[in-house]
Amino acid sequence: MAAALSFLRSPRFRNLEFLLGATLTLVICLAVLFSDQLFPGGADKMDLMARLSPPFRTAAHPLGTDPLGRDVLARVVAGGKISLLVGFVSVAGAAVIGVLMGLISGYYRGICDMVVMRFADVQLALPFILLAITFIAIVGGSLTNTIILLIVSQWVQYARLVRGSVLALREREFIQSARAIGVKDWRIIVQHLLPNLIGPVIVLLTLNVANNILLESSLTFLGLGIDPTIPSWGGMLASGRTYLQVAWWVSVFPGLAILLTVLGLNLLGDWLRDSLDPTGRTSR
Amino acid sequence: MALGVKGIKTAFMAALLAGTAFMATPADAAGKLTISSPQDPGSWDPIDTFLVNWASVGTNIFDGLTYRGPDRKLVPGLAESWTEMDGGKRIRFKLRSGVTFHNGEPFNAAAVKFTFDRLLGEEGAKGPQRSNYVAIDSVEVIDDTTVDFKLKAPDPVLLTKLAGYGAMIVPPKYIQEKGDAFFNVNPVGTGPFKFVSYAPKTGIKLEANPNYWGGAPKLSEVEYRFITEPATAVAELQAGRVDVVLPPTIPIGMVPVIQADPKLTVLSIPGPTVDALRFNTKSGITADPRVRKALIMAVDRAAIVKSILAGQASEIASFQGELSFGYDPALKPLPFDPKGAQALLAQAGVKPGAAVQIDIRGNDATMNEVAQAVAAYLGAVGVVATIKPYETNVLLNDIIPQGKTGAMFQQKWGGWTFDYDNTAYAMYHSGEKWNPYEQDADLDKLLESQRAITDVAERERILKQIAHTVADKALEMPLYNSNAIYGVAKRVKNFPPASDNRPKLTEVTVD
Repeated sequence: MAAALSFLRSPRFRNLEFLLGATLTLVICLAVLFSDQLFPGGADKMDLMARLSPPFRTAAHPLGTDPLGRDVLARVVAGGKISLLVGFVSVAGAAVIGVLMGLISGYYRGICDMVVMRFADVQLALPFILLAITFIAIVGGSLTNTIILLIVSQWVQYARLVRGSVLALREREFIQSARAIGVKDWRIIVQHLLPNLIGPVIVLLTLNVANNILLESSLTFLGLGIDPTIPSWGGMLASGRTYLQVAWWVSVFPGLAILLTVLGLNLLGDWLRDSLDPTGRTSR
Repeated sequence: MALGVKGIKTAFMAALLAGTAFMATPADAAGKLTISSPQDPGSWDPIDTFLVNWASVGTNIFDGLTYRGPDRKLVPGLAESWTEMDGGKRIRFKLRSGVTFHNGEPFNAAAVKFTFDRLLGEEGAKGPQRSNYVAIDSVEVIDDTTVDFKLKAPDPVLLTKLAGYGAMIVPPKYIQEKGDAFFNVNPVGTGPFKFVSYAPKTGIKLEANPNYWGGAPKLSEVEYRFITEPATAVAELQAGRVDVVLPPTIPIGMVPVIQADPKLTVLSIPGPTVDALRFNTKSGITADPRVRKALIMAVDRAAIVKSILAGQASEIASFQGELSFGYDPALKPLPFDPKGAQALLAQAGVKPGAAVQIDIRGNDATMNEVAQAVAAYLGAVGVVATIKPYETNVLLNDIIPQGKTGAMFQQKWGGWTFDYDNTAYAMYHSGEKWNPYEQDADLDKLLESQRAITDVAERERILKQIAHTVADKALEMPLYNSNAIYGVAKRVKNFPPASDNRPKLTEVTVD
């Protein structure tokens, strides 16, 4: 037990973590990016007569076909586009809005801080699924709406994180002195505050990408997400559900893709968190 | 000798006991049947609901004046006979005598009058059933076993409508004493099974009514469990905790799973449910009938039925199945002809890359796949189709009635009366809730004319004509008529797979 724990803290594991995380993420991202070149036109090619053919039998469909006779491998790879797009764009959007809000409310305090933080409290009190169902029911499900929903529900995390850091930093001498010699507010924020608090934000970013890929999958799974003709991992999982007992491969392979992507990103995020940890508790 | 006498005595006693036991069997048979139903209607009052799954239970608790069994023939129910008078504007029913409700109340002409006064009055106005029976002007009691229905206008489907739903006869004294709210959750009828208990969202339990006028049921107990999740229902069936899974539950993809189980069987018969993708005939490229025809011809509907629906449905040419009154076998679907479709599209001036949106119910797994197949076929003739899944209630109550759909939208329809009028009037008559786009005076006239005709042959001719007109104008892409799929354990004998999802369990036995 103790040996296992000490291995988990050892630099060798740190390196393994990074290697595995980076490789998984890189391979998946590349495959997804070049899916059109890897499978030219393959993801949407329908062959109703070859529906639900099992995997590992033919070279044409190494992972079998889905209920419409489309190649599962091609769809899993192409489906990553939506999942990764939603994951990265929503996280980027939420981070930009959240960091901005956090900086403003933390630096200026006062009424600004009050409004933003009370708004954040209300937001945190709303369960995500309730928000999601209401939102999608009102504006309808689409790719953009899903991304907007994720941004709306997640910017708060960044805002709170950043505001906390800013509150501590703004009383530090280097900020005080910058202010004393008359540096403009926006310059203090961009040049002095931002670089000092971006570490934890980046960690949150990586972890949230994985989280959002899962959320997008569950939203699509619930039928609240996007057009079913566009392949996406959550959508494939949902459509394969009724066939689970007769054709497991329809839902198992997209499930595996989600698992590997999330695992890769989480490993990378963990490694990043430990590397950037300023207290040096787990430093190499 | 003494021993012998004792022996004979014992044997005699045993025989006697066996005899009583044997005689008790037909009146009070043993056996419990557990049925999975996908929906809890919430109220068991016949006038409060239009849900098919109300009727699956209701048909075993209540009776109507007429009865329609699995063979879809109309036979006497609580009425022994009837005659039409005044050119169809008055129907006289001779009632069955000696029938009592489960609470002991007698069934008579007053109960019939009470039922319909209630349905057509204030209480009925709160529910969805009343509009089906508005042809009835009043019910007059002639004597204790005779009633007259006075009609505002002849209604050719009325006798069928009296066999189910809102027309189920309810006990007057019971409702007056206990109130409607109590009746909603403690139903009392004249049917083969008596209500025992109801747990909302969980199930309803019934027991045999040994005094049923149609002969005592062979089962002693029936329990309906509400299981919404198809996978759960099938798992319960496999585990033997449920004997019958009612439609619409079992997804087509799970049919092979049940078929492969030696203890189970699948009963699949044509039902009333039809699916079509209807067009926005008012605006966009689908306002042009040539484009609509091209889109229909571009899709291989037969291949979709054969593969995705795995033979659990049949292709349709108009928005009705073959069991429907008004079905014309001579009307054939447009052929699958992508080349012809492309030519028609070019003629109509539609450029390759034109976009159409298909609106579907998000929770309909089958339609989800079918729509994707349709989109792929349309893509092959240069029309780019996107699919928009909606929450079912949003699609039904907002998007379709308000005319906010895409170029195509899913319509699922299933009239338990199996009469094309029920479908066609709602779909094609101007100003109807389900018809947000099309306005055609000729079609309106046709639809109105058949409603006043009691001549069966003439009415059928007009209904067929309506179907042809709709097909000529290509108002929709007719897809398929789905089967009603029952999953049944082999220990259940004599189960009647009713196409209208109203299996009456009187003759059912279990091993």
